[in-house]
Amino acid sequence: MKLNPFLVLVRKPLFLLVVYIILSIVLLRMNPEKSLQGLRYGALQVVEVFAKIRFQIAVWKDYQKEVEILKRENFKLQTTLQKTRDIFLENERLKLLLNFKEENQLELIPSKIIGVGTELGVRSFVLDIGEEDGAQKNMPVLTADGLVGKIVLTTPKQSICQILKDHNSLVSARLQNSREIGVVSWDGEPWLNLLYISKDVPVNIGEDVVTSGLSKIYPPFLRIGQVSEINENEYDLFKEIRIKPAVNFNSLEEVIVIHLIENDLTNQVDLEE
Amino acid sequence: MKSSVYRYIALFIVAILFQASIVRYLEIFSWKPDLVLIILIMFSIQSGPSLGSTAGFFAGLLTDLISGHFLGLGALSKTIAGFISGIWAKYFPEKTQFIITLAIGGFLHNIIYFFLLTIGIEFSWRSLVFVYTVPNLFYTTLVGLFINFLIRSWLKED
Repeated sequence: MKLNPFLVLVRKPLFLLVVYIILSIVLLRMNPEKSLQGLRYGALQVVEVFAKIRFQIAVWKDYQKEVEILKRENFKLQTTLQKTRDIFLENERLKLLLNFKEENQLELIPSKIIGVGTELGVRSFVLDIGEEDGAQKNMPVLTADGLVGKIVLTTPKQSICQILKDHNSLVSARLQNSREIGVVSWDGEPWLNLLYISKDVPVNIGEDVVTSGLSKIYPPFLRIGQVSEINENEYDLFKEIRIKPAVNFNSLEEVIVIHLIENDLTNQVDLEE
Repeated sequence: MKSSVYRYIALFIVAILFQASIVRYLEIFSWKPDLVLIILIMFSIQSGPSLGSTAGFFAGLLTDLISGHFLGLGALSKTIAGFISGIWAKYFPEKTQFIITLAIGGFLHNIIYFFLLTIGIEFSWRSLVFVYTVPNLFYTTLVGLFINFLIRSWLKED
């Protein structure tokens, strides 16, 4: 078989070397030519695409890092915001307490609830004020919304507040419109009961129930709640009135204790003791 | 053999693109590794002077097109490097074949490249060798050892 002499030549390494060297030199001499600039531009376009992809990857990685940083930052800010909200709400509550104090001209002792009482048979809160702060047994405890209960036990540093939602709690109360007097008690339900209101007394849903002032413990006009339901039974002498408490006992944080100045009213009915 | 040529073509393309984009981030002073040269030496050792010089010419040409340097500069230096590596590689023991071939081929490549690049500029041979050729070659050899270690087994799979 006769081989193509060109192919034989092409396979000679030295021949190829010479050809490539000559081509390279020709190209080197042609460098300023415009036709080569176009070729170069085309090649650079290819590289540019690659560079763009690489750039996009780098940008994407930067974004990922940024997202991580922002997530952490967001978490910190959320925490700070939550703290700020708490402080704001506390501030609002304290403002209300302050307004209450100014409006009522009473000697008030601010206090924080630091726990739930563990005494058997008494539903209570533990307050962070005690005898050293001026707290005494039977002092009324309230918030700006209304009456919470009364102090039943004191120690030098802390005291126990019996709340209205306790089976043993009884408060002399008055319907705001009719001025009728009854007794507020609790029987384990979400609402309070207003007892001893005669059937012939007109009572409206939404009517405020306040302390009567006929007690040594509670001063008059402290809000207890609003009438939420009225039932009548033909065999009973009195109406069955349910009261929605003015205070949400589940979310209490700060309260105030009223330091009452003793007076000589001897005709006060002490229903609570 | 055929699949290994395809792998080398892929390697050349990747090396040329990397050389034009990423390698500048590896630059120390003005020295940088020549990835295309590394692949060329590996290819020339395996394929001999004919294919070595052919690959050198085309790879160098593409590098020139992309790098913006004189067209033909890389083609000429890489053609010679590919040819010499293809011829001399068989004289070295297998264990040190790559590093010695890379050192010789790379040295020749760098000398030609920087010599042609600095034609017309007042430049001493000493600067040419010790400021450009040797540091670049040293850097390329280090990177070359690493690349060879990484892809050697992959290239031999057939």
